Amino acid sequence: MERELDDEVAFHLEQRIADLILRGMSPADARTEAMRRFGDADDLRDYCHTIETTHMRRMRFNEWLESLGQDFHFAFRQVRRSPGFALVVVLTLGLGLGATTAIFTVVDSVLLRPLPYPESDRIVQLWEVNAKGHHTNFADPNFTDLQQQSHSFSAIAEEANWGVVSVSGTSEPMRANLARTSRGFFDVMGVKPVLGRLFANDEQTLDGAPAAVISHGFWIRAFGGSPSALGKRLQMGNTTVTVIGVMPPELDFPAGTDLWAPRELDAPLPSRTAHNWQAVARLAPGVTLAQAQADVSAIAHRIKLQYGDDVTMTDAALLPLRDELVGDTRRMLYTLLGASAVLLLIACANVANLLIARMASRQSEVAVRLAIGAARARLIQQFLIESLVLSLAAGVVGLALAQGGVRVLTALQPGRLPRAGGIHIDWSVLLFAFVVSALVAAVLGVSSAWRGSRANLRDQLSQGQRTMSGSSHHLRSALVVTQMALTLVLLVGAGLLGRSFAKLLAVNPGFRTDSLVVLNISASIGRPAERARFYDDLTARLRGAPGVASIGTTGSVPLSGDGYGNGNFIVMNRMDEHMTYADMARMGRDPDRAGSAEYRVVGPGYFETMHIPLLRGRDFSQSDAPNGPNGPHAAIVSASLAKQRWANGNPIGKIIQFGNMDGDMTPYMVVGVVGDILESSLADRPSPTFYADYRQRPGRTSNFNVVIGYHGSSTPIIAAARQAVRDLRPDVPPRILTIESVVAGSVTDRRFVLFLVGVFGAVALLLASLGVYSVISYLVTLRARELSIRVALGARGRDVGRLVLRQGARLAAAGIVIGTAGSIATSRLMEGMLYDESPTDPVAFAAVIGLLAVVALAASYVPARRAARVEPMDVLRSG
Amino acid sequence: MSRDTNDLLHGTLDVLVLKTLSWGPMHGYSITQFIEQRARGDLEIVDAALYKALHRLETAGAVTSEWGRSDNNRKAKYYSLTARGRALLRAETDTWRRYAAAVSRVLETT
Repeated sequence: MERELDDEVAFHLEQRIADLILRGMSPADARTEAMRRFGDADDLRDYCHTIETTHMRRMRFNEWLESLGQDFHFAFRQVRRSPGFALVVVLTLGLGLGATTAIFTVVDSVLLRPLPYPESDRIVQLWEVNAKGHHTNFADPNFTDLQQQSHSFSAIAEEANWGVVSVSGTSEPMRANLARTSRGFFDVMGVKPVLGRLFANDEQTLDGAPAAVISHGFWIRAFGGSPSALGKRLQMGNTTVTVIGVMPPELDFPAGTDLWAPRELDAPLPSRTAHNWQAVARLAPGVTLAQAQADVSAIAHRIKLQYGDDVTMTDAALLPLRDELVGDTRRMLYTLLGASAVLLLIACANVANLLIARMASRQSEVAVRLAIGAARARLIQQFLIESLVLSLAAGVVGLALAQGGVRVLTALQPGRLPRAGGIHIDWSVLLFAFVVSALVAAVLGVSSAWRGSRANLRDQLSQGQRTMSGSSHHLRSALVVTQMALTLVLLVGAGLLGRSFAKLLAVNPGFRTDSLVVLNISASIGRPAERARFYDDLTARLRGAPGVASIGTTGSVPLSGDGYGNGNFIVMNRMDEHMTYADMARMGRDPDRAGSAEYRVVGPGYFETMHIPLLRGRDFSQSDAPNGPNGPHAAIVSASLAKQRWANGNPIGKIIQFGNMDGDMTPYMVVGVVGDILESSLADRPSPTFYADYRQRPGRTSNFNVVIGYHGSSTPIIAAARQAVRDLRPDVPPRILTIESVVAGSVTDRRFVLFLVGVFGAVALLLASLGVYSVISYLVTLRARELSIRVALGARGRDVGRLVLRQGARLAAAGIVIGTAGSIATSRLMEGMLYDESPTDPVAFAAVIGLLAVVALAASYVPARRAARVEPMDVLRSG
Repeated sequence: MSRDTNDLLHGTLDVLVLKTLSWGPMHGYSITQFIEQRARGDLEIVDAALYKALHRLETAGAVTSEWGRSDNNRKAKYYSLTARGRALLRAETDTWRRYAAAVSRVLETT
């Protein structure tokens, strides 16, 4: 093309020179003039070169686009020609993608996305660390020391979840979660109110005017999102609190908080072992986590050195707030993500299998196209696009499934899943789904194109389709074996979780788990005595209701996640032994005098109603004088406490000082021993427990429950309970549950994991059986000739069928062996999620292996029957 | 006054070339002559610029070229207008007329 331009220019110059000479110029002058008038020839050459190459590039791109268009067109035609195949591929892949995307969505929202606070990675939670290495909350003086001595934080604060309170003065009385926070808390979180203001300094003092900042959700619920909420006075028991600000929707800490109130309204406790407060802080600019850790450790060591046995803190720990919030769910979510990834792999194997089978039938097409000069790259592009079309369609199906799946997941999710509010499919998840489906497309497309284009043309054209099968059959068998192995891993996981779950539900928690209704009340009603009177009235009223069999009261219902408390008590030598807090602390170090126990406040009838057996002595009775000034208060201990603290197991008549739990220094006398119960979780061991009577010790009863045993249906009981509360205290909204839902609620996270792994396992089993079926049927088609010769030579149909079944059995056996090895290799991952179940439990393995073998044989049975019924002459003639 | 086509407003040479070719296929030299004759010497075209315009129009698909024989039987590259070139010429002529009219209106305002 450069040459052409030169020729063109030369012609032009010659013409010009000739013309000029004709007009009488000398040849030399004509030449100079022609050159002058032509201008810069080099520049012209560069110019032409540039536009030419740009043009060529554009042309090539257009051609490529066109071929791409053709390939897409071709791909769609293929889909239309065999819609069944396309449907199966899209659904299979879509299922795998959908499951993975749904789980990834949850993982992303809960584990990966940063907390919604400014520079949220700078927010840390602080803990006291005791000699056993356990993390505990902070005691006030320890926190104060830390606050004053540390140099690593730009803000630091105490906070505590104060539990549920009943609030009126809103549109209707409602239950709300109250948190108490110290000065600096909102600086730590880095959030400002969207409406109103934060606490003023004079509100953050002992005698400050009670004020509260409310959450965005509570603002909507209680005030319909109206700005007139500011200045409203909320009634919480007998305190009146003014709403001064509304926080933005992002602020959800402590989790679920509706109201934040200043911690400073209560005086700090002088005890260095009263672990009442969580501590959070924001790292100062430039300070690393390690530097801050070193700083707080040094302070903790100084405190320990100075106060010795008066503190249990030996060290302090600090962790990013996000890690704290995510906590235990990390393992659960990653397990589920792993399980869904295995499902996706199985789906891919299935699709690869289908594609290979299809490839075999298109072998001659490919061979012919190669023979007439199609470029291999072009063929690969075509296959890539075919699988891309299928995978993207699968991606769309997967996203739709994920949408639904996420909704199901959040509906099913254990209530304790942190940050559940923020779970939604966002662009990163979308990207994830499409990257994964495009990757799958690339792998499937390239591998099938490569296999196809490698085939030997002569073999193809001369022998047709029949011979093409050897190597692809091996590959397909390998894929089926992989599928079986992965399915086994999933099913073993589901089996182990299922057995563990069944064992957990079969655990006897030590109390009745049916025919009980639990009525929960949160009321900071007046003084403790007034509260006790309200509970008395309520129980008296309910006792007479029809269908009620027995009735009891308790500060905390087992397995409900209610707040519990524990502490150290002192065994007194005699009734009138004088004792102060300081004495208790000193004697608490003497193992002969001290003991530790969970502290519960219950009422008469509780043990009877809950079917907690009385082992010794007597129950609380009406004769235990309410707040009697003379004599000790009655106490009942659990069997494990009796056994642990008293060598002969008989504590009846022992005098005990446990006044540190509620501030009342009246001693207790043990009057009875009751059976152990599981309180915090079915998977835990029973804790030694100490019970007091709420009528004598109402100090810690702002959260209270009435348990009602009934005959017949729970519905009228629930209605009666609701009515009774409404009549007595319309400002206190109750929460009413059956004991069944309380127990079920305590195992939701396990049920959640079990359900999902079970569903994945079932889908995997379906896909694997499809895989076995398609490979064995294909095999029967391939061997039709051989089989019919066998029949012609006298083999019975049964023998032929058995021959085919043996093929299926061989695949299953290989898959089972590999899968079993895989399950054992990964069993360690399951350990923490199982209750009373070994991750290599032979029963679970045997059951799953049996199931898989049966399914594999059933899937081979259909083609085997077809083979057994073969009519030799038909096959031989048609061949 | 003779003006160098380097000074011509951008695109003017293109429209002149298209107009010239609308009379029939021509090689580069005859296009120069044709334009210069019609302009009665008031426009002098820098040849390199003409060829740039021709190649630019060719990649844009407004003209095509083929080698042929000149009057004196020399090998020469002949350019001819395509359908797209014809459409372009119509559009450009319109634009040019409106532009020229606008400029003269401004200049003639006293």
